[in-house]
Amino acid sequence: MAELVISNVDKIYRPRRKKPVHAVKDLNLSVNSGEIVALLGSSGCGKTSTLRMIAGFEDVSNGSITLDGKAIHTLPPSKRGVAMAFEAYSLYPPLTIGDNIAFALKSSSLPTVEQQTRVKAMAEMLDIGGILNRYPSSVSGGQQQRASLGRALVRDAGLYLLDEPMGQLEPQLRAILRGRIKAYLRQHNCTTILVTHDQTEANALADRIAVMEGGILQQYATPADLKARPANLFTGTFVGEPPMNVFPAEVTATTKSVAFRIGERTSLTYPRSDFSSEVVQALSSIKKLAIGIRPYALHVGKGPIAGQVVACQWLGDQTHVAIEVEGRTVVSVAHERIKEKPGSSLALEVSASDLHLFDAENGNAIAHGGQLA
Amino acid sequence: MNQLAIRSLSKSFGAFKVFEGLNLAADSGEIVVIFGGSGTGKTILLRMIAGVEEPTSGHVEIAGENATDVAPEHRGIGMAFQNFALFPHMSASENIAAPLRAARAAEAEVESGVSRVARLLKIDHVLGHTPRELSNGQKQRTALARALAAEPKILLLDDPLRNVDAKLRFEMRLELPRLLRQSGATVLYVTQDYKEAMALADRIAVLSGGKFVQVAAPEDIYMAPATLTVAKLFGDPSINMVETTVRTAGKSATVDILGESVEIPASYAAYAGRKVAFCVRPEAVSLAHKSDGLHCEVQAVTPLNERVVLLLKSTGGWEFLSSLPSSAAIPTTGEKLRASFASKGTHLFDLETGERLDG
Repeated sequence: MAELVISNVDKIYRPRRKKPVHAVKDLNLSVNSGEIVALLGSSGCGKTSTLRMIAGFEDVSNGSITLDGKAIHTLPPSKRGVAMAFEAYSLYPPLTIGDNIAFALKSSSLPTVEQQTRVKAMAEMLDIGGILNRYPSSVSGGQQQRASLGRALVRDAGLYLLDEPMGQLEPQLRAILRGRIKAYLRQHNCTTILVTHDQTEANALADRIAVMEGGILQQYATPADLKARPANLFTGTFVGEPPMNVFPAEVTATTKSVAFRIGERTSLTYPRSDFSSEVVQALSSIKKLAIGIRPYALHVGKGPIAGQVVACQWLGDQTHVAIEVEGRTVVSVAHERIKEKPGSSLALEVSASDLHLFDAENGNAIAHGGQLA
Repeated sequence: MNQLAIRSLSKSFGAFKVFEGLNLAADSGEIVVIFGGSGTGKTILLRMIAGVEEPTSGHVEIAGENATDVAPEHRGIGMAFQNFALFPHMSASENIAAPLRAARAAEAEVESGVSRVARLLKIDHVLGHTPRELSNGQKQRTALARALAAEPKILLLDDPLRNVDAKLRFEMRLELPRLLRQSGATVLYVTQDYKEAMALADRIAVLSGGKFVQVAAPEDIYMAPATLTVAKLFGDPSINMVETTVRTAGKSATVDILGESVEIPASYAAYAGRKVAFCVRPEAVSLAHKSDGLHCEVQAVTPLNERVVLLLKSTGGWEFLSSLPSSAAIPTTGEKLRASFASKGTHLFDLETGERLDG
């Protein structure tokens, strides 16, 4: 089965009479057989250029791409054995939804009956079984997107490329379709790369997430690792909803304790034993320190982070609490219902195991939960 | 006191009825969210209150007075829109000053008014910029500042966070209630985002099928949705649903879920024989290896922020979702378990009318 390896790939666009744009910089990435990988980043980060190079719609400026050990970056798109679902759907307007989904199968050696069975099953999975005889222009954007996804997934391909595959889906359907699609990709052992700017989608579907920014791969890790061990301030604050709280801090370590001062009147103090000696050593040479604390790691308690409640918002299955601490807004989230009146005083606590320490000068992580990064 | 009321308000375009007989009253200083999907008429409703759209029948009352003959500029209303609608040739400061100038305020008053709202919205550093030099977030803050500048008694906000990115939307969601309270205005806030509605509203008016299907505090909307439609619109993932019939056995009540009987609170026994939509919120589904509960198998595990959503299938083929805190023990794909449903998150609706059946 397919294994995709991207080695030292650059993409440089050279528009006429304009400065060249270095969209992807020295990218190295490998995707295991049957693995689901998400390329995650905001617009302009290089994720779509990467996907288009894999599909063959863009040349690579440098480097190579191999699928199953075979170089594919020099092949035309149709010879790469890749199925793709496009962000703009790109359905064939004169074909029905059913014929669109069946399109690639028709040129395959698959018996007609088998083709029909597959299309029907795919359409049912995507909840568009009832509109197979309709034309793209007469169905909603969400339905067109599902048809486009179905057209890609119904094929037998070595690699599936999905570009923002679920952005237009109806909110009430999203969770169940994510589940069905993930189950389908697993059952068929589909090696899949999806491009998205939506971390919720990346987290839900992917085994590993490649976070990109400025054409550079920032971190490539499992969703759990991205949360627990962000490589730098960028991934730390980019991944996680609501975003991580970040404080500039000054550290003082004694033989007994380690204290982080994050404001005129606010210090976080922990027993020194909460931190490995390597971490304490590393901290001594840092000029500017930043502490990251995820909203879920801040619990209502005795402090030391104390302030006035700005907002306390219950959303049905979680409560978002914002307090103002020395002019800065700090966000805490709890699974249970919390009732606090705006303006009242509230203290939040955090354990040393939930601290993320960064070198604020270069953004690199120093330690997570008392251990070296 | 009712600062704002709409009485039997209807709007049709030819034979097409947008809505009919809408009634709503908002107290002074209250934040009422108008919630509904696209095309439900939320924006038309705001435009009628502002006086720029004629109702087909019914009227708007401001401070207890019928406002039908009051011109838009005399209604004491501030407005902000999802597309910001800033004057492109004016600086942020001139944009914010516009309603004050329109009201012929003295120059000193204009200046103090602009700097007051600019400080409040943290845009004092970009007041000299034109809209094209502003980020989306700054544009949106400028539009809000303009709406607030003339200290209107009534503020109409038409999905103002729609076009800003997720991080900014979240920040503004936390900040807005305080800002709106400080302004003292009565606020009608239109959104399609249920989280925004729950976070901001004193009360939510759910607009669907041309009428308000429920007007209530966020807690009541979520915990006791009046109709199946309301239940489906609030919550992520959306509420689980299966069509079935209420059965009774002795004192207990059950529903049949595609061939498997599940006990529901005995108080539902009154609805024996009724065709219902049996609904359970994903966070009310608990899973365990035990001897009772609905048999199910994990189809897929999809993390959702700090929660994990599981796609499950019952023996009879019912697909449903469970949402667990990620700190909980998370079952794996293929695992067979039993599901039970907390009564707090379980709701029954009449299958024909969609109305809530109280248990």
